[in-house]
Amino acid sequence: MSARDLIQEALHSLEANKGRSLLTILGIVIGIASVIAMTSLIGGIQNSLVNSLGLNAARMVQIYSSQELTESDIEKLQKLVPQIEQIGIVDSAYTEYKTGDKSYTVMAQGVDSDMLDAVGASKLVAGRTYSQAESQSGSRVALISRNGADQLYGNEQDALGKTIKVSNGEVQIVGVIDGGSDSMGSLTLYMPRETISGLFGDENPSFPSVTALAAEGTDMDELCKTIESKVRAMKDIEEDEYDSVSATSMKSAIDALNSFMGAFSLIMGAVASISLLVGGIGIMNMMLTNVTERIREIGIRRALGASRRDITAQFLAESSALCVTGGLLGVLIGYLLAWGLAMFASGSGILGELGASGQITPSFSIATVLLAFAVSVGIGVIFGFYPARRAAKLDPVECLRYQ
Amino acid sequence: MRPVIDIRNVHRIFESEAGCAHILHNVSLAVDPGEFVAITGPSGSGKSTLMNILGCLDKPTAGDYYLQGLNVAELDDDELTEVRALSIGFVFQSFNLLPRLSVIENVMLPLAYTNVPRSQREMRAVHALQAVTLPVDHWDHRISELSGGQMQRVAIARALVNDPPIILADEPTGNLDSATGALVMETFHKLQKRGKTIVLITHDPSIAAEADRAMTIRDGRIHDGAYIPHAPRTLRSAVDSLPMISASTNPPKGVVA
Repeated sequence: MSARDLIQEALHSLEANKGRSLLTILGIVIGIASVIAMTSLIGGIQNSLVNSLGLNAARMVQIYSSQELTESDIEKLQKLVPQIEQIGIVDSAYTEYKTGDKSYTVMAQGVDSDMLDAVGASKLVAGRTYSQAESQSGSRVALISRNGADQLYGNEQDALGKTIKVSNGEVQIVGVIDGGSDSMGSLTLYMPRETISGLFGDENPSFPSVTALAAEGTDMDELCKTIESKVRAMKDIEEDEYDSVSATSMKSAIDALNSFMGAFSLIMGAVASISLLVGGIGIMNMMLTNVTERIREIGIRRALGASRRDITAQFLAESSALCVTGGLLGVLIGYLLAWGLAMFASGSGILGELGASGQITPSFSIATVLLAFAVSVGIGVIFGFYPARRAAKLDPVECLRYQ
Repeated sequence: MRPVIDIRNVHRIFESEAGCAHILHNVSLAVDPGEFVAITGPSGSGKSTLMNILGCLDKPTAGDYYLQGLNVAELDDDELTEVRALSIGFVFQSFNLLPRLSVIENVMLPLAYTNVPRSQREMRAVHALQAVTLPVDHWDHRISELSGGQMQRVAIARALVNDPPIILADEPTGNLDSATGALVMETFHKLQKRGKTIVLITHDPSIAAEADRAMTIRDGRIHDGAYIPHAPRTLRSAVDSLPMISASTNPPKGVVA
């Protein structure tokens, strides 16, 4: 029997038993759906976290000192530690912004154009970023987060070109970026540092924390220790002064996140495989019933020239078709579930707490779908094998006599 | 002429926990190509067991079976399957059509097992349905929409579709009234004219009378009508193969006189 004949036969007989088939594949549907929902959701959260941290998050070191660092301290540090490619100073200031009857807390972040990437503000949604020249001249330009643009102006396009009052001046919005961790009632604006000093009038600022970007391939843990000791030496801070100086890299945070997500996936996988096992046993049960119900048909087919192999193949095709249907339904329901959960989580702001940007898009990968497909076929073959063999081993004479 | 079916000294014994059942005793018979042979006998006489052996669905416990010169005992399961698929067409008393499939799908079913290309299947099924004179407008019907006579003609078409030289029919008119039964018998006669060898089991003497040769089997022994083309090789088998003398004290049950 050709593959096409087998598939046709299998679909025929599943159609004849629609209700029972649907109930039987429920276990497979639930198993596959939960795996798909969780993996795509986890993938989505991971993407969203990485997005909000920026592409270079793994190479970033957050340096904090209880005695604030001045610009000259920073220059010195950069010379002492050659692995530091760049040190970004993020200046920030808070101000109020009122529009209509609503008021927002505006956090103005002073980030020069070359550091936008490092703070995760490089993904443009609309407009443009500001240039090096604008950074140096202190132009009154700013980037707003997508969320902020939506809140103030309704959509991203409408935000472009608008001016917004910050402290004792105004800045013009030139671009909208994806990311930024705005919570309700607060807005983040990114603008050049020079602009911040112009607006807030701080001539010789010092900073409690700065961000360093390490060269590619640097041992981050080693670098953190080096930076810590250099800062202590520079600022004359004793070792035993607890937490007065710290340099932490995002790498360990990302590693921790990844291992957490990995463990979570493993648990989900275990739960799903139990569901698939139960589903598989259900399939075997239904196939055994199927064989018993169709003993006479098996006899007829054998008399008409079906070999044992043909009978085995027919029942295997049926159980595989059953499982593949379950698998595909599971994939579909899994993605729907992931979208639903993502929408719920985005709406409730749970992930804002985790530090992810507001929107999560469940990740869709063709590899996962193929894997689900392969697993379904595998279950169909494994759990369908015994009933199929049993059908094939029946004596045709007995089968034809069976009522 | 070499017989297509040549059974020599066949025994069939079923062993079960309840004991041994000796169903066929030293049965020998031969059927020439193109012959129409009827096997009659009361129920329980071993007709169906003989039919299963003839159809390669079952193997004799002892004795030889040569089908088209091939020693069936030497064939394995796959080879027997091939013989069933290509050399034999079965027609059953209860039709044994698959109710899920339409008329034409039922007829096409055996072609899937002989790897006939899909493009040729429908044409061959149409030829087979034409041969049994089933009206065209019935071809797409479900099996349940047909009358008994129509079902049996579909079953005959299915038996024909692989163009086997031998048709084995087990009580093909058993579930039909005499008028439709006659129609089915007419179909068999037509098939014989087309060169098919037909072995038909029946307990109806009037049906058996339509065949070239009728053979009676009783209590697992050939009673009369067996044509044995070869001489018995041993004295014992010569005695065994003699027709049984029907002077037994209990008359056999269910014999239609």
